[in-house]
Amino acid sequence: MSPGAAGTLIVGYGNSLRSDDGLGWHVVARLAQDARLRGANVLWRHQLTPELAHDVGQASLVVLVDVSVEQEPGVVSVRRLEATSSAGSAWSHHLEPESLVALARELWNASPDVFVVSVGAGSLEVGERLSPAVEAALPKVVETVISLVTEHDAGA
Amino acid sequence: MTREIVIDPVTRIEGHSKITIQLDDRGEVVDAHFHVTQFRGFERITQGRPVHEMPAIMARICGICPVSHLIASSKAVDDILAVEPPPTGADLRRIVNLGQIVQSNALSFFHLSAPDLLFGFDADPAKRNIIGLARANPQLAKDGIELRKWGQQIIEWIGGKRIHPTWIIPGGMAQPLTAEVRDRILAGVPEAIAAVERAIAWYKTDMVRWEEEASTFGNFRSAFMALVDRNGNVDHYGGWLRVIDADGKFLADRVDPHNFNDYIGEAAEPWTYLKSTYWKAMGYPDGIYRVGPLARVNVADRMGTPRADEELEKFRWRVGRVASSSFHYHYARLIDTLHCIEKIESLLRGPDILSKHVLARAQVNRNEGIGVSEAPRGTLMHHYKVDDDGIVQWANLVIATGHNNMAMNRAVLQVARHHVKADKLTEPMLNRVEAVIRCYDPCLSCSTHALGEMALRIQLMGPDGAVLDDLAR
Repeated sequence: MSPGAAGTLIVGYGNSLRSDDGLGWHVVARLAQDARLRGANVLWRHQLTPELAHDVGQASLVVLVDVSVEQEPGVVSVRRLEATSSAGSAWSHHLEPESLVALARELWNASPDVFVVSVGAGSLEVGERLSPAVEAALPKVVETVISLVTEHDAGA
Repeated sequence: MTREIVIDPVTRIEGHSKITIQLDDRGEVVDAHFHVTQFRGFERITQGRPVHEMPAIMARICGICPVSHLIASSKAVDDILAVEPPPTGADLRRIVNLGQIVQSNALSFFHLSAPDLLFGFDADPAKRNIIGLARANPQLAKDGIELRKWGQQIIEWIGGKRIHPTWIIPGGMAQPLTAEVRDRILAGVPEAIAAVERAIAWYKTDMVRWEEEASTFGNFRSAFMALVDRNGNVDHYGGWLRVIDADGKFLADRVDPHNFNDYIGEAAEPWTYLKSTYWKAMGYPDGIYRVGPLARVNVADRMGTPRADEELEKFRWRVGRVASSSFHYHYARLIDTLHCIEKIESLLRGPDILSKHVLARAQVNRNEGIGVSEAPRGTLMHHYKVDDDGIVQWANLVIATGHNNMAMNRAVLQVARHHVKADKLTEPMLNRVEAVIRCYDPCLSCSTHALGEMALRIQLMGPDGAVLDDLAR
């Protein structure tokens, strides 16, 4: 079985017309072609929405990929969402990762391992190109996601 | 001396707005306004673009209902090309449009409004949201998620993408339907029907709890407008415009949508970017009418599908032949959704739905075109003028939320008069003023073609502009 086989959900999200906010789109475009993730459910979304809770509810591993304005441009970090994380915003058009996981837990009794891979944004201006710092970080982001999947698969 | 309460912005709607409530020196409400405070101006930025680009550009107006703009825009360009899409192409457009109405109606009812209905308008906002809904009534929350997901899958599978789909183009559709996609969609129909019927059953059981809201949430006489087919059934894609008055009498029927300008005027006010449309025969501002799910169930003779017709009969038995309260948008939205699901199934089972003939090709043959369809929130009109090379010279969009603008303002005034009793802002009062707007499910992204942030700030202001009270959520 390939590392990304059934049970892995990867969601890159953001606005592909807002420079680095489109990181998720760029990452997903690469991951979707990666044979090591064959079988994984790899999605790109503008934002996290309630209906994604269904997919989270069916997964054993969830990796969310986004940019952050709280990190230095190009810096990659991994944050594990604990199952006990309280729901963040409960706005219904888009959700914080914590709310999405809470929704899946409430409705599907799901408690997957959830990681947020984030990269410090260099530019959020109108445009389809990544800033140099985030462009340079792209391979590391891809390998970080694959490592998470591989480690999860090895521990399963 | 007059004073003013400002709710800025209004939450859990599509876009950015604020509400101001004018008080007199006795603390009584004398006026109220629903302000749309954002502007983007697609009608101007499309000038100079090739007309074939219009559907793709117009779809960017909104991330919730891009399909509606794709449909209306494509129909307007069809008109300029002087072509009719092949029947199967038109049916595929219908299915995508209905799929979008299902997902948008599900968002409005299950995610945005159900928390108010379930917990009550006075409940703690920290609980009155989708997470709270999932804890208190998981089946209702799950049904909303699954319905929305199913509707989005229809858009993605037939339209090419979940948001801003690309297969709806002038002349028809870029791709025919495959048997595999048809069967995948059909497989979801029984559960989609079950989900919305569970919600209708819940709503009917609990609606007695909301009698006060039903009597004060935009409960007034007005006209209603929607598209109907040749048999008087609801038609979300084509047909004719029908307008009825508050008693159900026809003000106009079998109006060719191409002639909508003969009947509908547009007015602008300095305090909002949202235009107000009005029924010309009654003038401005008396020519108030409503569109959307409530208008569709009021205007049509029948929905045109068995389960929805059964529910429509019960709806009319409960609230009357012409429902006057805007609170009943919620109930009507569920019946509308049920009809859409049934209609999707019926279209998918059509004998020619897998036909390869889905696109008519042509060049510019007219200098003007109009496209009209029903969007989730009501009748949507795109009107373009082009030169002989097909370059857009002028565009005008008449959006569902614009049709409802005067009705929303009147509804806010009615709720404010009922609930605002002092010059101190309170959460329950604010919740109800906001909730009445939410009945219409206004899409401000569409109506002004802009985006907005969601938060809540309310200010009570004196006549000199000084802030007397300030509340932030």
